[in-house]
Amino acid sequence: MDKKRTALIVDDSRVSRLLVRQFFIERYPDWMILEAGSGEEAIEKASMVEPFLVLIDVNMPGMGGLAAAEMLRKMYPNAHISLLTANVQDPVRKQAELLGIDFLQKPFNEKRISDYVEKLV
Amino acid sequence: MMNLNELQHDALIEIFNIGSGRAASAMSGIVGEEVQMSVPALSFVSRAEAGTRLCDPGTKRICGISQHYEGAFKTEAILVFPEEQSLEIVRLMVGEALSMSELTEMEQEAMSEIGNIILNSCVGTLANIFGRELHGSLPSYHVGTGDEILSTSGATAEAVVLLLHIDFTLERHQIRGYVAFMLDVTAIHDLQVHVDEYLLRMVG
Repeated sequence: MDKKRTALIVDDSRVSRLLVRQFFIERYPDWMILEAGSGEEAIEKASMVEPFLVLIDVNMPGMGGLAAAEMLRKMYPNAHISLLTANVQDPVRKQAELLGIDFLQKPFNEKRISDYVEKLV
Repeated sequence: MMNLNELQHDALIEIFNIGSGRAASAMSGIVGEEVQMSVPALSFVSRAEAGTRLCDPGTKRICGISQHYEGAFKTEAILVFPEEQSLEIVRLMVGEALSMSELTEMEQEAMSEIGNIILNSCVGTLANIFGRELHGSLPSYHVGTGDEILSTSGATAEAVVLLLHIDFTLERHQIRGYVAFMLDVTAIHDLQVHVDEYLLRMVG
């Protein structure tokens, strides 16, 4: 039997997490969805269950999304990790690319996320 | 007071026009309808006057989401809506996902996230045009008069600032608001340097 896929949504905004969670519940009802409100919490939650996919914001209190994504990338080399951020600055995109992390732009857009996830499954 | 020459003025308007276009696109993505944006208006005013201009005549209280940026230049960016329209904007963002009581409970946080998305779309575009980085604070949400909202930044009322002001309208829902950027004298100088570099790259 296939292992249940887990998506970890990391964002300090509850409303952003809600929109993404809703998308997964409707489109991928058999996935396990975890949420974290900070980079630190993301690392803690990821250590409990190996995530298939991590969507992570950049500007968050504490360690921030890029630092957390870098740690998650080292912890889980096979996980799919993407920034989901309003920070569209070129250096952020370049840093993500160097870390082997994808880039999705906010605001939340169902088609954009759907196209991305469909390429992974 | 700082002066911008005609070329710098035009370039600044054009650069902020591109940034506000990205902000409009982000806002349209949030609310699901077309968003009209005005051409940026640029003026040198006292901080007190900037506070007055943040409130439309007849609008008593506004909801402002501000972020402080540092890096290539320092600026205070602020997204403003009339207070009574913020719940409607949040409803447009989340659709039918939440009950009215949940919407109300999440209003402040949702507005902060909307501000974060819109302001970063604009500021990120400006940073990319200048080929520099701008580091933003987390969004800060305030409700009050324009004066009250600006007083949270701690600057004196007499201080001269460059105010860049962009109106936007959501016709279908009759929602009006605006994005404003405020720069103090030092920041204006830094911005001028980047505008000159941009002009040099563009027109030689």
